[in-house]
Amino acid sequence: MRGWWRQQVMGQAVVVMVVMVMSMVVADAAAVVDVYRMIQYDLRGAPMGSRRAALNHHATSGFDVAGADLSRAVVILPVLEVNISSLNEFVQNKGLLGGLLLLLPQRSHESGGGEGDDSDENVGKVLVELEQWLVHNTFQYPVYFAYEDDYVKSVLQEVSANDAAGRPATATTGGYKLVVSVSEAKKIATPTLTNIQGWLPGLRAEGDNSMLPTIAIVASYDTFGAAPALATGSDSNGSGVAMLLELARLFSRLYANPNTRGPYNLLFGLTSGGPYNYNGTQNWLRNFDQRLRESMEYALCLNSVGSSSDHMWLHVSKPPENAFIKQILSEFENVAEGLDLTVELKHKKINISNSRVAWEHEQFSRQRITAATLSQLEEASELLQQTGGIADSRRAVNETVMMRKIKLVAESLARRIYGQQGTQVEVFAAGTNLALSPAYVRSWLDLLGRTPRVAPFLGKNAPIITALHKELAQYTKDASLQHETLDSTFVFYDNTKAQLNVYQVASVTFDFIVALAVGSYLIILFVVLFITTKVKFLAVRNLLRGPIIPLTIDCFFNHTNPFCFS
Amino acid sequence: MTFFHFFNCAALTFGPHAVYYKATPLSEYDTFSTCIKAAIVYIVTTLIKFVCFATFLQVSEHDGFDLSQEILKGLIGFLDVAGLYYALTQVSHRSISQNHKFQAVGLGWAFADAVLHRLAPLWVGAKGLEFTWEYLLQGLESNANLVFTVSLAALGSLMWLRKNKPAALVPFIYVSAGILAAMPSITSYLRKGLAWEFPRVVSFELSASLLMAFVTWRLFSACQRPAQ
Repeated sequence: MRGWWRQQVMGQAVVVMVVMVMSMVVADAAAVVDVYRMIQYDLRGAPMGSRRAALNHHATSGFDVAGADLSRAVVILPVLEVNISSLNEFVQNKGLLGGLLLLLPQRSHESGGGEGDDSDENVGKVLVELEQWLVHNTFQYPVYFAYEDDYVKSVLQEVSANDAAGRPATATTGGYKLVVSVSEAKKIATPTLTNIQGWLPGLRAEGDNSMLPTIAIVASYDTFGAAPALATGSDSNGSGVAMLLELARLFSRLYANPNTRGPYNLLFGLTSGGPYNYNGTQNWLRNFDQRLRESMEYALCLNSVGSSSDHMWLHVSKPPENAFIKQILSEFENVAEGLDLTVELKHKKINISNSRVAWEHEQFSRQRITAATLSQLEEASELLQQTGGIADSRRAVNETVMMRKIKLVAESLARRIYGQQGTQVEVFAAGTNLALSPAYVRSWLDLLGRTPRVAPFLGKNAPIITALHKELAQYTKDASLQHETLDSTFVFYDNTKAQLNVYQVASVTFDFIVALAVGSYLIILFVVLFITTKVKFLAVRNLLRGPIIPLTIDCFFNHTNPFCFS
Repeated sequence: MTFFHFFNCAALTFGPHAVYYKATPLSEYDTFSTCIKAAIVYIVTTLIKFVCFATFLQVSEHDGFDLSQEILKGLIGFLDVAGLYYALTQVSHRSISQNHKFQAVGLGWAFADAVLHRLAPLWVGAKGLEFTWEYLLQGLESNANLVFTVSLAALGSLMWLRKNKPAALVPFIYVSAGILAAMPSITSYLRKGLAWEFPRVVSFELSASLLMAFVTWRLFSACQRPAQ
């Protein structure tokens, strides 16, 4: 009776203990790697990008590993070794895959300088091509990016060695397991585009009541890329933003003094939505009041001005014969000569029926405002192309060439504002207090080059937006923010960053072997203890000459055996 | 990995205690209550030890081996001996033979130690996806610990309960008991002072436990003889 009761209590105690321990949260990983999820978006309702976020599979080193079950494996691919055509074939054939982990070459910590060698250029080309392909395809599995470091490299090496030896990682053989535990991505309900603008009001001559003409300087600051958390776009369009801020700084000095304040209003606009047909610019212009629109002489859009090329294009949508355009071009050409730069005009008509807006100035042209885009890109890019993705790193921007370009724009603007066309005055001469500041430009390039700026993920109060706003407010008057909602042809999903846990797991076979070993150890222990304690020492001594096993068994069942210790 | 591995490690950690109880006459003489009492004494002793640790030990910034701190820790560790003394002599046991009493006390003591010190890390760690040998080694360590504790209890019963023991053996008994009581400090020194790897420490503990068990058995049977 007493024994029964005790067993009951013991049983209950065990249950309580197990329940208590079960409720403890288990979180333990051998290594954690920062990973960046591939973009997930809908384009006109069509699902694009990576459609899953959670990952929990064994690691494999390639698509053609013998014996690997790809639908339950994460393929680790260094991007420099990716063969896009074979990958494309796999995707088009709707191949099943557990997940894809793309390894980006190690992040270089140099702050640039732009003297990229050939290997850098090659890396860039490969990345651009891969990124374009990724952005325009759909993947039914999670796709992540990670930077290659020593740990990740060693894991990949071990995985490849195992795969090559015909031991791909599975549940039965063990190996590396990659786990990203996140909830599935949710739609971003109302993606906002935030435009930032600032004014430098010109000085009206006394007794003049007419409205002053306005020149707008515009750059789109947001980016888009295969991995939103890595789309830091230094050239597209961090360079344009840095140039705009430097221009604002220079002209704010001129405009601070009534003697040098020009008879032009200057409007600085940092627009969002650049990758999405300049959606933010469109909304911004729509909100312009009539008077402003009429006073607008022209708008100069800055786009991708950071590369080391010293040839620039002035993209316009009005015919080149237009007197206004000619004037703007000749101003640029005049100044460019002295700076070892060349500017060439490129005309592209707007097709109103086509929704694609390739250049920012086209949004102005559609609103009948004269506008041009200054860029070193010759051809108009396709949708979601040249939008500052992973490949567009800080190293791609050459500061020394960029300073000359800033000088080009600043001087030609100044000549126009002060009516000095055709002369050779130098307003922003080095050594004066109006000199360009390479340090200022560099600091902004550095900040922009490490800040991902995909608009839907920024929200209204992103630090970078606040920083840009504060900066413009410092140099201009009435700096303000305008929040717009992104065109509904684009739908975005969250979860851009995650942590990848890398576990080294043992196989089930190994567990079985351990279980067998432990089990036999316990059985042997039992038998040894039983024989040495329950069987009488005397009996053992006597039976060392006789059959010991039958006696042991007998003692199990028959406690009255006189040889047994009882 | 996961639950299977946890089960394996748990079997290795706690199995020997159960086997010891079941395979030896302990289970026939209803020594369960003695085990429970020993476990309770262990828990109380551990609480007192923790209070002493918290009072006297400084929290070291680095994980190194600090001699004075370790000596202090070793001294506080001797509270275990006091606890065992209490469990062996002061707690009233039902009339079981001295042989069974020390085994039951040692077993309860070791089991409580295993549950308190190893169950939680085992659950958290061995159920994780990552495989390490750590928890299997801990299981082996628990085996060694069981042997140490039972040996110490055996020597304790020789010291405190047996009156007519050969005088020549008394110093040996005390030295052996001292070594056993100092075992946590010794392993701590090996691990931190000499920076031994965990597998090496465990193999040392296992071989030391076998050696000490042998010594204890010789001493115990040597003391048994005149009584027979």
